[in-house]
This record gives sequence, structure tokens and C-alpha cells, in this order.
Amino acid sequence: MIALSVAAALAVFILYTAVVGGATTQLSPSQLQGHTGHVSLVGAVVGPVTGDAHAASGLRFRVKDVSGASTVTVPVDYHGSVPDLFKTGRHIVVAGQVRNGIFVGDNGTLVTKCPSKYAPAKTTSS
Amino acid sequence: MADLGRAALLVTFGLVVYALVAGALAARSRRRRLALSAQNALFAAFLSTLVAAAVLLVALARRDFTFAYVAAHTSRSLPLGYALSAFWGGQEGSLLLWLLILTGYAALAVWLNRRNRDLVVWVVPVLGLVATFFAFMLCFVSSPFVVAPAPGDGAGMVASLQNPYMLAHPPMLYLGYVGLTIPFAFAMGALLSGRTDERWIVATRRWTLAAWTFLGVGQLLGAHWAYVEIGWGGYYAWDPVENAALMPWLAATAFLHSVMIQEKRGMLKVWNMILVALAFLLSLFGTFLTRSGVVNSIHSFSQSPLGGWFLGFIAIMTAFSVALIYWRLPLLRSKTKLESLVSREATFLYNNLLLVALCLTILWGVMYPLLTEALRGETRSVSKPYYDFFLHVFGLPLLLLMGIGPLVAWRRASLRALGKTFLVPLLAAVVTGVALIALGFGSSTPGLLAYTFSAFVAASIVLEFQRGTSARHAIAGESYPRALVSLVGRNRRRYGGYIVHAAIVLLAIGIAGSSAYQTVREPAHGLRKGQSMEAAGWTFVYRGLTTHQEADAQATRATVDVYRGGSHVTTLHPGKNWYPVEQQTSNEVSIYHDPRSIGDVFTIADQIDPKSGVLFLKVLVKPLVNLIWVAGFVFVFGSVIAMWPDAVEQRRLAERYAPAAASART
Repeated sequence: MIALSVAAALAVFILYTAVVGGATTQLSPSQLQGHTGHVSLVGAVVGPVTGDAHAASGLRFRVKDVSGASTVTVPVDYHGSVPDLFKTGRHIVVAGQVRNGIFVGDNGTLVTKCPSKYAPAKTTSS
Repeated sequence: MADLGRAALLVTFGLVVYALVAGALAARSRRRRLALSAQNALFAAFLSTLVAAAVLLVALARRDFTFAYVAAHTSRSLPLGYALSAFWGGQEGSLLLWLLILTGYAALAVWLNRRNRDLVVWVVPVLGLVATFFAFMLCFVSSPFVVAPAPGDGAGMVASLQNPYMLAHPPMLYLGYVGLTIPFAFAMGALLSGRTDERWIVATRRWTLAAWTFLGVGQLLGAHWAYVEIGWGGYYAWDPVENAALMPWLAATAFLHSVMIQEKRGMLKVWNMILVALAFLLSLFGTFLTRSGVVNSIHSFSQSPLGGWFLGFIAIMTAFSVALIYWRLPLLRSKTKLESLVSREATFLYNNLLLVALCLTILWGVMYPLLTEALRGETRSVSKPYYDFFLHVFGLPLLLLMGIGPLVAWRRASLRALGKTFLVPLLAAVVTGVALIALGFGSSTPGLLAYTFSAFVAASIVLEFQRGTSARHAIAGESYPRALVSLVGRNRRRYGGYIVHAAIVLLAIGIAGSSAYQTVREPAHGLRKGQSMEAAGWTFVYRGLTTHQEADAQATRATVDVYRGGSHVTTLHPGKNWYPVEQQTSNEVSIYHDPRSIGDVFTIADQIDPKSGVLFLKVLVKPLVNLIWVAGFVFVFGSVIAMWPDAVEQRRLAERYAPAAASART
């Protein structure tokens, strides 16, 4: 019985990876170099923030590593809803892909992370 | 003042260490007086923790900024209610709340079961062990009573926490998390003492049920908070911290079901031990996730003094429970075997496997980023599609089982009897399915399945109530309403359980309606005054902007007239608030509760250009979403019925287990 259920669980898992596909890789700006695939970019927002997320040109800003000594920043172009908490210095996650040296975010995937100290997780919800 | 708090916590620490050491010694050497003194230490630990908690509450109420904790989490202008809620707003305070609830629960549970001597002697040291960890953390790692020169004003509280939900949602979750310690302690006590009969289950049934109810209500409150306040149009985002509460709830749900098998048939003893340990460990893990921020921002892990301690404690408790279960395996052999794959027991087993599978896949999803970072140096994460997939694969069969289980006979069911009992629910399901496809709801297969299965379950629940009521009506000659009341009153566990099942059906319908059949209109372009947009038969006409000053924020509101089929239904005012002190904007959503679809029309002012007055309006039409909140009330109602003290049951159990103390029952 137990062996059967383990087998069933495994089968479901394999089915999942076959049908839906795997996980998304999360990268920091300093790790992004050379990656051309679809990834999630994690970093801290560096100003100036220009443009308009609902205009054709999109919202433009740069992100740097959240921690560590790296000074690498990556330019981001983003369209769609912008979370309330988005501002310079905030930690964000955005899905997308590098095109011509610019990280082009997927529509509506920008999420802010909360400053961990006394915020509940709920405020990070996108 | 802070000294008093610190002293009280040190006293608590001493007392719980005593309860652990003296309790274990007394239980080993069967010294009754020492055992009693260990019990008393546990009672006293509650009182001293209460003193510490009172000190912190008074400091918060007086905004005594010499307490570093008070200075970090409140300010002079913060209203009293929120200042008090800062008790669980920060890490040190929430640890104190854990310990307070734990010692309170422990004292009550031990006192209520004091006659069950041979079991309780071993429960006391286990409770002492868990309390020792939290008391140690509070005394030596993360004290809420650290003093510092008082600043002029405190740092204040994050705007999104200044919310009535903050008063109820976290304490509810803690009451649930901590409550799971009691059945765990009794289970381990049963293993240690070798009393592995069903007494520990009987003693803790209500505790598990209460903890499980608190955990469920706490999560629904959190979901509602997210829905109306956070303003992204949803109620659950598979966020690690949300999952942290869902996982122990799922494990506890499995446990609540499988213990019935042990009570009735003496099976699944090992499995129940594993489940109760899993639920407890997941509640520790949940506290750890919420408090350490390890998953949200992985880098705070090394900086937080809490993370390592918590992981260490979780590892110790895991090893402790695994070792105990392994050691007592010979005692946990079941006396009976599963007779047929078509029986009540078997459906319970399937239900358990599905619940645990769902729970573990969620755990895997939560751990995935940590594991990939540790193993491959590259963080990979899974998101909504992963969780949705497994919710469909495991959740939908679970829903169906909820309808099948109660109809199947114990031990072995004959197919002919099954056909007879299944006829009506099956018909209900088929009719619902056909009707939905005819109405065009076939667009979502999971949605269609959820509704068809819900119809099946609902019909089987109604049938159960109808059968029982008619039987009483015929036998006892009672009127139908009276028969219904006495039916439920005499079988509270069973019919309370069915009411909870009905709540889950409502929940499933609400979730399926608001996710599978929702309409989302992203703002493709900005609206100017007088322009309109459409969504699912609704028309939204933008009439203009207004601004006004609120106590601590500048408010901008759009006026949006909402029409359905040409007639004006309501006017909504989505907008944004700007908090100058915090330098923060927040979305203020505007929701119309539509009685016709039991759903919501949810509007978000995604972006407002104050100069041109152009509005980017996001609209979500979520049918049936309000059933989710209705389900919450039904859920509590059913749980309370199932929990309500029952004199008849108590007598029956007393008779059953009275001889068990003398001779180990077989």
C-alpha cells in the first residue's frame, strides 16, 4: 500500500515536470551576465526611476545586488502594475529576459519584498 | 519594570527546566510526589510568564521607550489598540506570546487530565522540553526586556499593520500553532510511558480540533485582510509565510481523520504518531519561517540570531520523535488489518495520503529555493503554476472523497449497497455537470470538476442529515425540526464534522468561482474623464478625480459609475493614499458586493496621473468569492458543534478506558 502510494506520488511529480515545466531560476544582477533564458531577477532598486509602466516606453530603473560587494547594476524595462511599496532601495523580484543588454520584465510580474523587520509577509503579495 | 519582566522570564525558565528534569526523573522512577511537584512547576511557569507578558503590555500601553522593543514597534501617536498589538508585531514579543500560550495550554491540559496519571507523568517533561526552548530563547537570545536610553519618540508601526485584522489574525494563528503542541506532547508521553492505547487521542481530541479551528480561522482572516487591504485582487498568493500556516493545518486535518480509524478499529497507530509529530514540527517550522524571514530574504538568515536556534530545535525534536516512534514500534502494531479497499477505513486512508501528499509538495515548494541554493549555488523557485497544479491533482480527489467517505460502510462495503447510496449524489453531480456545460462553464476543466464534485458532496451531506432525521422522526416520533436538533445533539462529532465538510464545499465553490471563472481587465490604456471600459457584462464609466486630506495621508479617489445592462448599479471610488511621513503610497481598492453572483466587482486604481487626470483602472469580476467568507462562519459553527462537551460520550469513554488503566487493553 505504502509502496503503491509512493509510486503514485512520484508519477504525479514526473507528470508535473513534463506538463507544467520546472522552476524559475532566481538570479542577482551580478549573476545575470551570460544568462539569456527566462529568469527571475532579484535585487535592490537603484534610481533614478523614470518612465511610465503603462506607457509604450515602460518604467525604467536599474537594480543592484541586495548584498555583497558587487557594483554591477542591470537596467530594467517594465510594463504593468507597480506595487505600492516600489521605490528606490526596495528589494524586488521581476521575471523576464535580457534583450539587447536590457532586462525586459514580463508584464505584471514586479513584486516587492518587505523589509523583513516588522512587516508581515502579506505586504509582499503582488 | 524591565527588570521585573526579565526576572519573571528567568523564573519561568527555571520552572520549565525543573518540569523537564524532575518530571522525567519522577516518571522514570515512579515517584508520585516528585511528579506532582513537576506538574506544579508547569502551573507556576504559566503564572510567571503571565507576569512577564503583563510587564510588556503595560510598557506598550505607557509607550515606555526605555524598552528597546517598545521604542522599535510603537510611537506616541499610535492608537492604544495598535500599540498593544505590537506585542506580537515583533520577534521578541511574538516569542513571548508563544511561551505564554504554551504554558497556559500546558497547565490547562495537564490539570484537566490529572487523573490520567500514568500518561500525564510523561506528558509533563515533554511539555517542559518545548517550553524550555522558548524560555531559553526569551531569556538569553531574543529578550523583549532589553533596555536602552529612551529616544524622543518610537519608530512607529508599518502603515499596513495599523489595521483591525492585526488585532485578531496573528493571535489566532499562534493559538493554532501552539495548540498543536498539546496532542504532540500527549502522543510522545504515550510512547514514553508505553501507554499506546487510544487514551492519548481521546485526551487531546478537543485540543487538536480547537488548534485546527484557530489555525483555519486565522488563515481565513489573513486571506480576507490581503483581499480587502493589500489591493492586488486576490486572497492567497502561495507566499511562503501563508504556506507556513497551511502546511500544519493540512497535517492536522489528516490527523483528525486518521485518529478516528484508530479509535474505531485500532489501526494506523504508527501513522498517527507520525502525523501528530509532523503537524507539530510544521507548526515550529511555520513559526520559524514567519519569524526568521529565511525564505523571503535568504540573506537575513545568517544575520538573524533566531534562525540557527530554531533549525537546531526543529532538528532535535524531529530526531526525538523519530527515535521514540522507532523504539516503540513493537507496541504500535495494529491488531486489525484493512479488510477491503472499498470501506470507510480505506477512504480515510486515501484522504490521508492525499492530504499528506499536498502538504509535502507545498513543503517541497517552500524549501526548493533553499535546497537549490545549498546544492547548486543557484536559487531556483517554484510559483503559482506549481502549487495550482498540485492543488488540482490532490485537492479535487480530496473533495470527491469527502462525499464518498460517509456513504461507504466500515470494514467492507458491498457494491450493491454502494450503488443504492450513491444514486442520489451521483445524479446531483451529473445534473450539475450537464447544466454547467450547457451554460458555458466548460471553459475551465478544474472549475467544472470542482463544481460537479461539490454537488456530489453537498448531496451526500444533505442525504446523511435527511436519513438520520427521518429515522429519528419514525422511531422517536419527534417532529422533523426536533428530530434534526436531537440527531445533531446526540452525534456531535459526526454531524459537526459534516457541517465542516459543508464549509469546505462552500470554500471550494468560492475558490473555483473566483479563480477559474474570474474576469480580469488590465488597463490597456488610460481612461480620460467620461471614457469607459467593460468587463464581464459590467460597464465602468470614469467620472473624475477628487482629493481630500485624511488624518495621516493625502487621499486621491476616482469616481467610477458602474452599470450592468444599461442600468446604474453603484458608484465605486478606487484610489491611492500618500503617506508623507512614511514616504509611501498605498492602493485603496473599491469593491462592490454583488448579491446576484455572490461575487465581487473589484476595482483598483492601478495608476493615476494627477496632472492630466488619466486613470489606469484594473477591474476584476470575481463570482462567488463571498462564499469563501461565508464558509468561515460555517466552519467555526461545525467545529464548535464537534467540540462541544458531550456528557454521554464522556461516560462511554470513561467506561471504556477505566479498565484500560488496570490491564493494558488489547
